[in-house]
Amino acid sequence: MRNLIGLISKFHAFLIFLGLQVLALYILFANNNYHNSEFNHQSSDLVGYIYGKRSQMSEYWRLGEINDQLSLDNAKLRSQRAENFYTQRSVVDTLRDTSMTMRYTYRPAKVVNYSVNREQNFVYLTLDRGSIGDLKPEMGVISHGAIVGKVVSVSNHFAVVMPVLHKDFRASVKHKKTGFNGYLLWRGRDPNIADVIEITRSAPVAVGDTIVTTGFSAYFPKDLMVGIVERIEDDKDFHLLKVRLSADFTKLDYVEVISDLMHDEQKQLEQEVENATNTSN
Amino acid sequence: MLQTLLINTVRLLFLILLQSLVVSRMSSLNGLILPWVYIFGILMLPFSTPRWLLLCISFVVGLLMDYFTGPLGLHTSACVVLGFAQPIVQRLLAPREGYDASQRPTLQRMGFAWYTTYAGVLTLIHHTWLFFLEVYRFSDFFFQVLHIIMSAAVTLLLMIIGQYLIYNSKSTEL
Repeated sequence: MRNLIGLISKFHAFLIFLGLQVLALYILFANNNYHNSEFNHQSSDLVGYIYGKRSQMSEYWRLGEINDQLSLDNAKLRSQRAENFYTQRSVVDTLRDTSMTMRYTYRPAKVVNYSVNREQNFVYLTLDRGSIGDLKPEMGVISHGAIVGKVVSVSNHFAVVMPVLHKDFRASVKHKKTGFNGYLLWRGRDPNIADVIEITRSAPVAVGDTIVTTGFSAYFPKDLMVGIVERIEDDKDFHLLKVRLSADFTKLDYVEVISDLMHDEQKQLEQEVENATNTSN
Repeated sequence: MLQTLLINTVRLLFLILLQSLVVSRMSSLNGLILPWVYIFGILMLPFSTPRWLLLCISFVVGLLMDYFTGPLGLHTSACVVLGFAQPIVQRLLAPREGYDASQRPTLQRMGFAWYTTYAGVLTLIHHTWLFFLEVYRFSDFFFQVLHIIMSAAVTLLLMIIGQYLIYNSKSTEL
């Protein structure tokens, strides 16, 4: 017995080390699931608050740049106003347009924390809007018209976004000129370049062409800017396009969150069809 | 005693905030260099710190760091390794007459060569553990090794600069 106690007291540091190390690794691997809890502590209100303060401070240094971007956006929007257009016809229709129903709405949000250039598993963005601001998981996020990512987790006041720069991110995209479909994914460590795969070799793609979203996936409307083809590395059947992303992930500030008003309806219908097919088999 | 406790606590908290709010923002060369200077707070703990306490402090510091950056458990694990290795490295580097109980491992007290070896070895251990745990897999081995060496070198450099900035040779031992 005395020997045992002697042994324990001799190796107590090693035993404590072993205990704490097992605990740490348990915490790490038990939480190793993107959607469940990996990022929940980062949308927790205290850490979110501290990051919010930090972002407030660093924002001052970038006010000039942000102003430039805003005035550019203003000018763009102003030029699209109705009074700027010359009316071709002299008779103006007075019919109310009932053939259009609003589908997508946009909410502004601010990025309070981000990390790019880290190992690819842990890139994320935190927004300063959460479930109180009507944000939900699965909503698309864009910045100045270019896609940024999708919301994966929300707390009351914060939301965490899986950006394009994450190994699990996928989006359905197309070659704007010809309309051929492919998939967008990111597997490098360069935060400016993403890959587009599965566009068929027969599509005439050239360097400098534009890649946009298709609107197939529920979170982005169609024809949102994705990026510009920078390099073409082909394999046997498909193009492999290296695309320079239009959103600059190293300096995101204000983003817009897209909510699809018909998301539930579409999902429900697709689910019904799937169930019907399953039962008939 | 109380003063030592207070100063070390404040230093550890300050370094964690400095790390997450300032240093982690400064990325370079496609993410090749990413220094983790918060371990400075653990390296500065007095020689007389009991091993169990050192391990517990490391655990808590790592956990706090995790709340700010990565997934929970990553820095915790790396810090516990650091806390375990620290007394071993100190023993290996001990001068013939041993350490004075009130001494602290500072550059001014222990000399440049001693400090660089001490901090360098421990930084390398911590960063290696951290980075390999972070990617889980060993693909792109060469890049990882370069990443570790460069990051550890910058961490060490920042810690040495920090020592020259904060402590002058006449300052009292805290």
